[in-house]
Amino acid sequence: MGRYAIRRLLQLIPVLLGTTFLINYMVWQLPGDPFAARCGQRPCPDAYINAMRAEFGLDQPILVQYWHFLKNLLTGDLGVNFNNVSVASQLGESWPITVRLGLMAVVIEAVIGITAGVLSGLKRGGFLDNVITISTLILLSLPVFVTGFLLQWLFGVQLDLIKPTVSPEAPFGELIVPAFVLASLNLAFTARLTRTSIIENRRSDYVRTAIAKGMTNRRVVGVHLLRNSLIPALTFIGTEVGSLMSGAIITEGIYNINGIGGLLWRAVNDHDFTIVVPIASLLVLVYLLANLLVDLLYGVLDPRIRYE
Amino acid sequence: MSEPTATQDLVQGVPEPSAAAPASSGKPRSLWHDTWDILKHRKIFWISFVLLIVFLVMAAFPSLFTSKNPEYATLARSMEPPSSDAWFGFDLQGRDVFARTIYGARTSIIVGVLATVGTVLLGGVVGVVAAYRGRWLDSLLSRIGEIFLGVPYVLGAIIILGSVAPVQANPGKTLIMTVVIIVLAVLGWPVLARIARSAVIQAKHQDYVQAARALGAGPFRIIFKHLLPNSLAPILVYATITIGSYIGAEATLSLLGIGLRTPVISWGIAIADHTRYIRTGAHAMLFPAAFLSLCVLTFVMLGEAVRDALDPKLR
Repeated sequence: MGRYAIRRLLQLIPVLLGTTFLINYMVWQLPGDPFAARCGQRPCPDAYINAMRAEFGLDQPILVQYWHFLKNLLTGDLGVNFNNVSVASQLGESWPITVRLGLMAVVIEAVIGITAGVLSGLKRGGFLDNVITISTLILLSLPVFVTGFLLQWLFGVQLDLIKPTVSPEAPFGELIVPAFVLASLNLAFTARLTRTSIIENRRSDYVRTAIAKGMTNRRVVGVHLLRNSLIPALTFIGTEVGSLMSGAIITEGIYNINGIGGLLWRAVNDHDFTIVVPIASLLVLVYLLANLLVDLLYGVLDPRIRYE
Repeated sequence: MSEPTATQDLVQGVPEPSAAAPASSGKPRSLWHDTWDILKHRKIFWISFVLLIVFLVMAAFPSLFTSKNPEYATLARSMEPPSSDAWFGFDLQGRDVFARTIYGARTSIIVGVLATVGTVLLGGVVGVVAAYRGRWLDSLLSRIGEIFLGVPYVLGAIIILGSVAPVQANPGKTLIMTVVIIVLAVLGWPVLARIARSAVIQAKHQDYVQAARALGAGPFRIIFKHLLPNSLAPILVYATITIGSYIGAEATLSLLGIGLRTPVISWGIAIADHTRYIRTGAHAMLFPAAFLSLCVLTFVMLGEAVRDALDPKLR
């Protein structure tokens, strides 16, 4: 397992290099001037553009720029944005908030999704199963921002139960509704995956054996059935950490949360793409590590799986 | 999105050709015939089918639904709530929300369908080539796909759209729609490539493919006559669901201000224009949002109904 983990970590390097290069290339090299929107409606004076290009190193060849980016990334220097605010300090403030929001979303996803999936899978075709299937279908069809605005309007404006926007410190209580919005899509998928694998595994030999041995229903479901049925759901939750970050851009923008996603939302609105490169690189790293973690978790859940 | 796992489900859902032909009435029955037999008894299929027709008619002939001009603005009526005169009220510029919502269907459906066609072509070609050639080409294409999957799609779209079509620039209607369609397809192809790849790998070693090869069939004949028809079902199902999610994605990008923009009439733009007026004029946002969600629901429901009908395990 140790050797497997090391090999997988080594395999991450080319993917990571490729992705960060692609991101750098697209933000700085594609046709279209990154400073075009900096001077209001007028075109920018050449002197300004040249000064900015020199400051951000755009006058050098792409490989040199990329080398500088990598060197700076490894030393923790993420540069400054167009207004000379350090990117690293902005990230440092917003990172914990996004992690908190993301963890809450994962917990909501896992608890509600798996519970709903197990309940509907055990009583297939029953009333509860139909209710859960239809509600997951509806959740799947609502884009994250529609759920976000709908709950903000319903709870924040009409019923006045929550504050429509979250305060800068983002306390736990104010994050519950945004975390639910963020989790909504994956929650529906988790519920469906769990349901499918519960239905499949219920017919398997080991469950029949366990019932024949005279075990209580609770033990059959809780120990034998659940442990095997959780693998697809956990894989899904792990691999979708990346898409959770996509949702975080929208959710944090809607609820004005001061996290990574909110930072990106504001950067896009201010036409300042300097911060996009380091954030995107970090998010890709998170995504790849989450995938690796899930692969390693397989072995814990299912002892039959061996790592070569 | 559920890509990795949905992929497995879809691929497992391809029935063996022999299993789909129980000679009950003497005539051999095709997979599609069987599927249709199941589908026509499904309520959910008919609901989504009728909704689909309604949305398609709405996209093709919006004037059948409303006689009002969606571009006509009376500032004096700005943000007027719904009334018997204007069912959905008026938006910030004093334009009729109902008319704009009806006219918005065309943009969303065009973007959704064309982006899906692009995804299927790009992903299908990459997946089939990767699976058919195998070896280093397979691992190279799979790694490239992973790089694209590694970037969350909203982030990828921000990166590409932010640098290609700067936010304040004013590209024409067709140009910006083309750019958005290309971006969605470029970010979405790896998932389809995986589906096509695993479907082809499954079919590649079947006896009928070996037989065709032994008879001297070239790679093009094997791919088009033998491999593709058997991979069609999962690709078709995924494509239907993808149309729905691309319609949602288009609206998300418009909301961020990097997708479609104002001369275009779309649900996403209507929502984006009114996010700041959620206290005073939620109607200008909620009605387009409802149509958007219903349209996405239609495609997702249709795709799932077909997938369930194709799945031999549920028979």
